[in-house]
Amino acid sequence: MSMIKSFFRKYKPFTSAGFQDIVAYRANFICFLIGEIMKCFIMFFVWKAVFNSSESETFMGFSMGDMVVYIFITFLTGYLAYSDGAYAIGEEIVDGSIAMRMIKPCSFDMCFLFQEMGSNIFKICVIFVPIVLGVEIYRFALYGAIQITLSAFLLYLLSLIFAYLTSFYINVCYGFLAFFLKNLWGTGLIKQVIIDFLSGATIPLAFMPPVLRNILNFLPFSSLSYTPVMIYMGMYTGTELLYRMGMQVFWLVVIFLVSKLIWKSAVTRLCVHGG
Amino acid sequence: MIYVKDLKKEFKKTIKEPGLKGSIKALFKPDKEIIKAVDGISFSVEKGEMLGFIGPNGAGKSTVIKMLTGILTPTSGICRINGQIPQENRKKYVKEIGVVFGQRTQLWWDLALRETYAVLKEIYEVPDDMYKKRMTFLNEVLELDSFITSPVRTLSLGQRMRADIAASLLHSPKVLFLDEPTIGLDVVVKDNIRNAIKKINEEDGTTVILTTHDLSDIELLCERIVMIDKGKKVFDGEISELKHNFGQMRTLRFELQKAADIDLLDYQKKFSATQDDIEIESDGALISVRFNSDAVSVEDMLSYTLSQVHVKDINVTDADIEDIIRRIYRREVSV
Repeated sequence: MSMIKSFFRKYKPFTSAGFQDIVAYRANFICFLIGEIMKCFIMFFVWKAVFNSSESETFMGFSMGDMVVYIFITFLTGYLAYSDGAYAIGEEIVDGSIAMRMIKPCSFDMCFLFQEMGSNIFKICVIFVPIVLGVEIYRFALYGAIQITLSAFLLYLLSLIFAYLTSFYINVCYGFLAFFLKNLWGTGLIKQVIIDFLSGATIPLAFMPPVLRNILNFLPFSSLSYTPVMIYMGMYTGTELLYRMGMQVFWLVVIFLVSKLIWKSAVTRLCVHGG
Repeated sequence: MIYVKDLKKEFKKTIKEPGLKGSIKALFKPDKEIIKAVDGISFSVEKGEMLGFIGPNGAGKSTVIKMLTGILTPTSGICRINGQIPQENRKKYVKEIGVVFGQRTQLWWDLALRETYAVLKEIYEVPDDMYKKRMTFLNEVLELDSFITSPVRTLSLGQRMRADIAASLLHSPKVLFLDEPTIGLDVVVKDNIRNAIKKINEEDGTTVILTTHDLSDIELLCERIVMIDKGKKVFDGEISELKHNFGQMRTLRFELQKAADIDLLDYQKKFSATQDDIEIESDGALISVRFNSDAVSVEDMLSYTLSQVHVKDINVTDADIEDIIRRIYRREVSV
């Protein structure tokens, strides 16, 4: 118990530093947020057009109400599970300031994780509550009853944490690419688009051809967005729910171990020039 | 305490030919060149010792420090500090050492200095009473009081360096590594920092390893120096030994009453000495003669000079450490 306590005491300063950072750059954050929410509304109107032109009430098993939940909860999940530690790691590797981290008795990934947690606390305060409330009010207006169950909501939160950690360690692995690539920005954009597609953030995996859907369901990317969103919507129940969350944990462990492996081999070839 | 044996570090460097064609070629079939930054260095340091590490730019000093602090992994060789191998259990190892890189800071740029120390206290798990005692001591030695509430980014270089040294000592490390701690500082601040380092070494018995380009740092702080050049050790011993071995060079300076009298002096012929042993420089009437006092005694030099010409002013000086080191770097004397 005391070990856990001292663990948190040790990394807590990183969290507050991360929080202070995002507060300092809040105008930047708010503008970015407005842009992203506008994107959600574009998606909303596109799907509305699709449903309006369709003969039946549902489309591939999704009603318009489901679609709205899907769009906004996917946005929320993607946003909260997003991790940009990769850039920080990459930058530190390139400019050599990683050396200053290595002379501290801290775990490298934990520093970044706790730092990002700081900004995530801020994000949760600012967007989590309004979006969830908005979605539920919309559904209440549509169906005349509260749609979300407490268990679905709690399972969603758990699944979201798995999604975030998986995303974090994928990005840690990606950050180590800085050993080979000089600049991570361009490839980072490509990576994000690919991940958005593969994780079902762009189009629900349910809409994809069965073969592709099965493959993507198995890959780690569906853990990042599709699984938590489906849990929120109550689409998974019983053994399927267990299986999906089991997959999330499985991929999290695999990617965590891969990142450790890369770190081990990367650190021996690290070269810090100058200074 | 510190034991280094046959330490080597090689870097692979990709050689890119110029132009687009070169870039494409480097992408698929890069030409690699191996650079030996550190090439078989061995030395050991006792507890409580202060060791000066000197060498010209690019000699490999910083690379050695980075291997000793666990940042870089050696290509081969052993380094053991306090019975630990830095790369093996990094988190445990770095708790016992303090590191200051003069050209980088370990402080949090946006935090006030006092908060930075509070963060470090948690990271190093320093108990409260220990922390208080330590802060009082560091405050006294490094005079942090006047700027402890300012954010780190507003500190001057001298203040920042003091703050950095304090940060590296907060957890009472057994070994302190200082990589150019006085770089870019003015004389007063330099003095201040040297005194602080000395005091910390005396009071805590901290072993100090110091690299520097400022030889007065070394003369004032260290008894022993290790000199490296091109990745190899060229000297290891006490400063007095260095002076003794290479310090026979003296300089005789005088001013002639008549500048033309210089023709009357022919030291090389008189003492049948080589160019290495006697070297003459003249600037009008001002003459300076560098000579090896083993080959020609000071007395002979003086009496010969005075018998040949009339001088206004005359003096003989010892070679200083800077002069010796300059000559070693230039390969004028072999070690």
